[in-house]
Amino acid sequence: MSVDPNAPTQGGFPVPPHAGGPRRPHPARFLVPALVAAAVAVGLGAYGKVHDPEGTAFNLAGFSSTSAVKSWLGTTALGFALLQVVSALMVYGRLPGPSWSAALHRWSGRIAFLVAVPVAVHCLYALGYQTYSTRVLWHSFLGCFFFGAFSAKMLLLRSERLPGWLLPVVGGLVFAVLTVVWLTSALWFFRTFGVTT
Amino acid sequence: MKRSGPLFTLFAGLVLALFMLSVNATTGTGSSSYSDDSSGTSEPTAPPTASTPGERPDPSRTATPTPTKKPPADGRYTGRTDDDSASIAITLSDGKAVAYFCDGRATESWLKGDVEDDGSMRLTGKNGAKLDGRLTDDGSKVRGTVDIRKKSWAFTAPKAKKPSGVYRATTEVRGEKVDGGWIVQPDGSQVGILSRDGEPAQAPRLDPATGTVVLDDGGRLTARPVVP
Repeated sequence: MSVDPNAPTQGGFPVPPHAGGPRRPHPARFLVPALVAAAVAVGLGAYGKVHDPEGTAFNLAGFSSTSAVKSWLGTTALGFALLQVVSALMVYGRLPGPSWSAALHRWSGRIAFLVAVPVAVHCLYALGYQTYSTRVLWHSFLGCFFFGAFSAKMLLLRSERLPGWLLPVVGGLVFAVLTVVWLTSALWFFRTFGVTT
Repeated sequence: MKRSGPLFTLFAGLVLALFMLSVNATTGTGSSSYSDDSSGTSEPTAPPTASTPGERPDPSRTATPTPTKKPPADGRYTGRTDDDSASIAITLSDGKAVAYFCDGRATESWLKGDVEDDGSMRLTGKNGAKLDGRLTDDGSKVRGTVDIRKKSWAFTAPKAKKPSGVYRATTEVRGEKVDGGWIVQPDGSQVGILSRDGEPAQAPRLDPATGTVVLDDGGRLTARPVVP
């Protein structure tokens, strides 16, 4: 990940931060996040598909099953993701918000991501990429897609002079995908097995 | 002025993922998706003790393939009832056991429980199903009885290797709950029951190499080895 999207090919002028400048940004700044996103998503899917699902994994004390743990972690992630949407609207001035709404956005996003990672690890390690029903197919596909899209979002944040619509669109995509991933897993789990721990 | 926070975030996620993977890979046989035990006694650390009276007291318990401090050793055991009417498979892992009894037609039961340090186990399943078994001192087989719906069978299950063992697939197909269990014997024969919405029937063949099951209607299932 050493490719620097802002590196010298830019043209050499000092770049004013946050300016939606008139000059066309170098394609690398979109290409690199897009390629990384594709690599992450395809890599996760390939790992889940190729390796032999273990069927078992580390469990947390106090929970009846790893599925319950994952459902609750996923629900936590979705909760912070909702906070993401609200705080993003504050940052963009669409909602009245406190001065620390940017920090709120950053940290709720980090927490949501870090909470989602163990879920993905368990899914891919113990269950793998599966396609045996529509729900499972979409969950597998979008679960991998989510981490790709999230990587792209993180890398795009490092670029300046992006088109103004890009971050909200990518962020909204990440949120939408996470929602579907949650609907096809945790909600299904709670509906099937009840809201248990 | 570049923001490195997002990179740190990604990096932290990567580190966390690698850490979890390493924990999974090293513990390997933690609790499973199927266990709903809450006994909390999953770490038997005492060394193997002599067996109970009536069994062969064999102090040299060294024939087990994994020379670990945790008795009994993990393993798969597959066999048949003494009257040859049904198959049974037991998987031991980390002091726990899960067993599947299946006649390939209508009677099946999943049982689970703890394995004592002396290799004895008392597993329970739904509707009062019970399995009393005992691992022989050399770890080569499990002998015991299984009671399901007031019937009792004695069984012997010798130690087996992959791909022998017990497999399970649970999913829903077009809103219908599908639950299948298979026992693959070392000679390659297998029995299985596939229940659709609780209606048991003979299961289609499982491909032990991939875990793939092709249903009558062309649908596919993926069965996985069952671990306690």
